[in-house]
Amino acid sequence: MEFLQYFGGVFEPTSFLLLLGGTIGGLILGATPGLSPTMAVALLIPFTFQLAPTQGLILLGAAYTSTVAGGAVSAILLRIPGAPANIATALDGNAMAKQGRGAEALHISFLSSGIGGVIGVLLLIFLTPVLAKWALAFGPSHLFWMAILGVTVIGSLDSKSFVKGLLSGCLGLWLSMIGYDDIQGAQRFIFHDALTGGVSIITALIGIFAIPQVIDMLAAGREKQNIASIKVEKHSFIDSLALTLSSIKSLSIGTVVGSFIGLIPGVGGQIAGLLAYDQTKKLSSNPESFGQGNPQGVIAAESANNAMVGPSLVPLLTLSIPGSPTAAVLLGGLLIHGIFPGGDLFDNHPEVIWTFINSMLVGQVLMVIFGIAVAAYAAKVAQVPKAIMASAVLVLAVFGAYSVQQSMGDVYVMFVLGVGMYFLEKFGFSAAPLVLGLILGPIAEANFIQGSLIANAISSPAQYFLTGSLNLVLIALVIASILWSFFSTQKENRAKKEANSL
Amino acid sequence: MKLRLIAAATLAAASFMAAPMAAAEYPERPVSLMVSYGAGGATDFQARIVTMVAGNEDYLGQPIVIINKPGAGGRVGWNWFASEAESDGYTMGAYNIPHFVAQSIEGGVKYSAASFEPIANWGADPAVVVVGADSPYNTIEELVAYATENPGRVTLSGAGLYVGHHIAALQIEKATGAKMAYIPTKGGGAAAMKAVIAGDVVAGVNNLSDAFRAREAGNVKILAVADLERNDFLPDVPTMKEAGFDVDNSSVNFRGVMVPKGTDPAIIEKLAATVPAMFENARVAKQMQAGGSPMHIMTRDEVLEMWAAREETLTELLAGLK
Amino acid sequence: MSELTANTDDSSAHDALNSTDAKPVASRMGYLIPAVLVLGLAGFVTYISYTQEPADAFLFPRLISSVMLILALWNFVRAALGKSKVGQGIAARVWLRIVPGILLMAAFVFFAAKYFGFYAASTAVFFLMYSGYDPASHLSVKSWRRRVIVTVAFMSVIYALFTLLLKVQTPRGIFL
Repeated sequence: MEFLQYFGGVFEPTSFLLLLGGTIGGLILGATPGLSPTMAVALLIPFTFQLAPTQGLILLGAAYTSTVAGGAVSAILLRIPGAPANIATALDGNAMAKQGRGAEALHISFLSSGIGGVIGVLLLIFLTPVLAKWALAFGPSHLFWMAILGVTVIGSLDSKSFVKGLLSGCLGLWLSMIGYDDIQGAQRFIFHDALTGGVSIITALIGIFAIPQVIDMLAAGREKQNIASIKVEKHSFIDSLALTLSSIKSLSIGTVVGSFIGLIPGVGGQIAGLLAYDQTKKLSSNPESFGQGNPQGVIAAESANNAMVGPSLVPLLTLSIPGSPTAAVLLGGLLIHGIFPGGDLFDNHPEVIWTFINSMLVGQVLMVIFGIAVAAYAAKVAQVPKAIMASAVLVLAVFGAYSVQQSMGDVYVMFVLGVGMYFLEKFGFSAAPLVLGLILGPIAEANFIQGSLIANAISSPAQYFLTGSLNLVLIALVIASILWSFFSTQKENRAKKEANSL
Repeated sequence: MKLRLIAAATLAAASFMAAPMAAAEYPERPVSLMVSYGAGGATDFQARIVTMVAGNEDYLGQPIVIINKPGAGGRVGWNWFASEAESDGYTMGAYNIPHFVAQSIEGGVKYSAASFEPIANWGADPAVVVVGADSPYNTIEELVAYATENPGRVTLSGAGLYVGHHIAALQIEKATGAKMAYIPTKGGGAAAMKAVIAGDVVAGVNNLSDAFRAREAGNVKILAVADLERNDFLPDVPTMKEAGFDVDNSSVNFRGVMVPKGTDPAIIEKLAATVPAMFENARVAKQMQAGGSPMHIMTRDEVLEMWAAREETLTELLAGLK
Repeated sequence: MSELTANTDDSSAHDALNSTDAKPVASRMGYLIPAVLVLGLAGFVTYISYTQEPADAFLFPRLISSVMLILALWNFVRAALGKSKVGQGIAARVWLRIVPGILLMAAFVFFAAKYFGFYAASTAVFFLMYSGYDPASHLSVKSWRRRVIVTVAFMSVIYALFTLLLKVQTPRGIFL
């Protein structure tokens, strides 16, 4: 309970103001398409030069947590996820918004973010020594199987057609291989100079989600009755709270999957939301309702992507290994102040590190409060005429894609992918599996190659990838996931046929 | 009325046009610094520290903004810098020697030392050999003895192909005559270090600055430094030469700033005069020391000399190793 | 769906991307064209993967492109048999509406942004797109005034966010 004595530090005026500012700023940046949590945190580093170590970290931590949650706002209202972590939120969140339940979707999204986030930070506080060993247990072969496990989700994720879902996933996997190969340095599929840097996930995310929305808004033409993009009816906060708290199953799946994925260095939180969403759908009594505005989908996805934040700091704080790009930036923030993460961090700088962790707990609560306040203004966003919304999203998408790496090539890639995705979606292909392929491709490939190199040096690849209890558990999960999607599609098809014959 | 307004606006906008700018007024707006590695990596982190006082009137008087263009061991960023970056002085790049020279010798990229104009060097980070804290090897001799008896069995992790770590690994193999398996990782030095700490590999080649911190945290043992002299951060760790293996300082990672070829000589001159002074700032030195990052400030002329020397030794080394 | 759209006959363009109950508007031919295009792409990617060197670096692309080719063939057969009718396709009226917008966007992204400068091009495109798709009168001075004000206000926000706060250096063309 050592951490309790450092709560005072969080409520010192400067620290608390920074926490407040970081949370509100993070929510806004997170809700802006094209600004990822990593970017938001990196942008704040220069500010922390001027601050004391504790205060600098509070600012970074607050921004990290709230950008992840803020990404849900545009995911729900516009079907444009602010970050890869929010893709799964867009699936059901936006469907809810289209039914006029936007305010409710925002409420439950922030509430489940807060709950997942608090549990994640509590895991960080109480279980760090145990979890640190776990984080290291994952070598190249295990990460490879983790990625394959993610790939098996592709077929069942947000798709009306099994073939087209898999095909979308393959397209994403292929897109991820464009550019210089990271390990060997060979050039692959570089048809145009804009592709030398490859297709970055953030760029692709902006194009694939934002541009089809723009074109869809244009498709409404000049019709007066189509002014409102979506309808947002007022919704009682108490009802949302009751719904969230009663969704024990989705919350637990989200939190467990999120904290587990966050812990493993190199997988990153980008897929936590999607995996939790898929699990919840598979274990639900009516999986067909997912994608049609089922609040459970939002709860699972958002609790997962915020639960991931706390555990993702375990390898960073105890072993000095940043598990995700955002954690890498946080490491920079620590080092700048001469604080070296490692086993004795909690002994050498207890006041800094506990104040930082406590501020993340308080930050989660602040994030929920301000997030709910944002939900009240959601109706205003929905009243923006389509012509303005389309133009605004276009300009934001172009600026966002450009500012990731200040590269015009990224803007071209973003636009081409976006227009392509619009037409593909109209013919039954889906965006979510494509992005999942894009994220998992490099993880699977790099770990496979690395694993093979190591295996060739010590034993045979078959032995390296197929033996050992962790490998076997992961392989079993892969097989179970494939069988499950296969049988559930069969069941759905049969149900559909019966319905048609009636 | 409206027409006149538009005309006025056009005029106003035209005054922003990219007219040839007098170097005396340079810089008038923030300057970008391209780093070819990801945010949070050693190069990115050091670049952010050494440029933090750029806004002072004594130096540039304008802030320096870091842009990350990571990918393929730095090839993506340097390709962009050589072929697309504007040579107006507002886009600078961070270089890593021997990485970009080795890559240009190996081929398949759009740059060579002749594509860039160095401004100044800020740091030198030697490669070190690390093993996990619970590894059975306590000296470089023990590790090499094992590698000699078991050819190809010792796996060495490093940040990629044709980067400083790879050069060091190649030199170690050549000097010791022991065959080892170099494992390039995706995700830079941090991923290579993780592989060592987690025991995925037998040993690793990594940056001195990162290894120093990992040792402070009790995660690794550092067996040797691939440099000519022992390092101030690690006075107890022998050099490869002391251990009897002929490995020189070719793999030491020199970091500094450069601009693309074709930049106005007056601007280069101005930068070459102010940037080394900026690196010498007391606050910069303090932060670099606190972060465990060895500094090594060199002026433009010294860097030009160092580039030429490195190109020669690396050409020879890589030709001999292929 | 909401009442707003339920009584327009425009549901195909307007509906949720994932609503399954919308009736397909495209013919069998309409589904065949994308299937052929995807098959073509898969074939092309497979060809490149198996012909380019070094083979080591193309191990994964070979694997993925082979799977993709098989799936694309399967998809093509289904489309040819008229079995696959997921997604609603695009109605002719929708084509007429989106094509000018897409052309405007393409001109902006591929040409104007760099030639005229990021801010000049964005301002112009925002104004043109908003005006072009605005249902309000195109004859009244009042609605034109509103368009100018909204454009200027939005671009000021963009400037504050990207240039002042994030210090992004945008490309400069003839103008800013």
